[in-house]
Amino acid sequence: MIKNLKNCFIISLFYCLLTSSIVVGQTPSITASSSPTVVVDKDIQQLKDKIANKVSEIRKQNNKAISGFVLNIDGNTMKLDNKEGVNQVKFDDTLTKVFKVLGTTKKEIKSEDIEKNDYAIVSGVVADNIITANVVLIDENFLVESGKITEINKENFNIKVLASDKNTYSLDIETSTKQYMINIKTLLKETIGFSKLKEGDTVHFVVKKTGTEKNNEYSAYKILVIPQEYFIK
Amino acid sequence: MKKETIIAIFLGLLFGGVVAVFISLKSKDIELSKNKVIAPPKEKVLSVNLTGIEMQPLELSEPADNAIFEKDLIRFKGTAAKDSLIIIQSPIKDLIFKNTQGKFDQEFPLALGENSIKIVVYPKEKQFRPQEKSIKVYFIDSEL
Repeated sequence: MIKNLKNCFIISLFYCLLTSSIVVGQTPSITASSSPTVVVDKDIQQLKDKIANKVSEIRKQNNKAISGFVLNIDGNTMKLDNKEGVNQVKFDDTLTKVFKVLGTTKKEIKSEDIEKNDYAIVSGVVADNIITANVVLIDENFLVESGKITEINKENFNIKVLASDKNTYSLDIETSTKQYMINIKTLLKETIGFSKLKEGDTVHFVVKKTGTEKNNEYSAYKILVIPQEYFIK
Repeated sequence: MKKETIIAIFLGLLFGGVVAVFISLKSKDIELSKNKVIAPPKEKVLSVNLTGIEMQPLELSEPADNAIFEKDLIRFKGTAAKDSLIIIQSPIKDLIFKNTQGKFDQEFPLALGENSIKIVVYPKEKQFRPQEKSIKVYFIDSEL
């Protein structure tokens, strides 16, 4: 009996020693194997973030926006005509998104929906004078100018404006034209009618350009008048 | 010719002259108020001595021409002549303010896509020519 107990004690002691040695042996192996992995993972993540930031920085630096009327569109390329000349645009099937701007909202369209003479705003990366489009927006083109009213035609609701760019603009004042005048005392703008316009007044105007206008004749989108009294007070 | 006839002719001419002058002045006033350019009074033009006066030029530090923004609200920062009238106009906004401090820093909204903006400074001394700058900035939504 005592012998049996002794054997049992020795076996259990041996078992205890064996398991503890395994645990003792395992513990360092756990710390040795998991800790470097975490460090390496962190390093990789940091490196990834750094690369992503750098790429985004470079993309931002090279990211440009151009605009112009569509001269032609052929498969994956498009030519835009603007004041500076002709710009070539390349579409990337996987990257380029095309939208039509409708006032304050936008609607995604396909590049095939772009037509000649559309006004396109392109944002993308420029390389070798070719812009690879990230985003293409089809919108309206506006001209913002100012000058002095030189002539008023009360029958045709038309005014002639000698602008600061030395051009004379012929503006049709439509019922839809937003017409404002600056109150010279409060400097607030007030809505006015055509009859308030006078030769010699200064006018700031916005017109929509379609690219097909002749002789600087436009339909006015918005006018803001500074009455001549402001300059003689 | 009788004395009375001469007096009558004289009085008639005098009255006619007065009426003619009155009509002429009145019609000029009506014409000016309706249509014509009002010239500043001569004495006002002569009294202003512009020699030695230097006007601060319009300098726009923000935004840069052709800049791309991911937000639809930007700030116009710069300097211009003190007490000048500044108008910043775009198709969606007319901003009118007096530049009381010489420096300006104004919020300005952008429309999606291209924004053609014109900034004009009308100096307090009306004899100076207005200064102006035209820029284009782009609002390209980051979600696009």
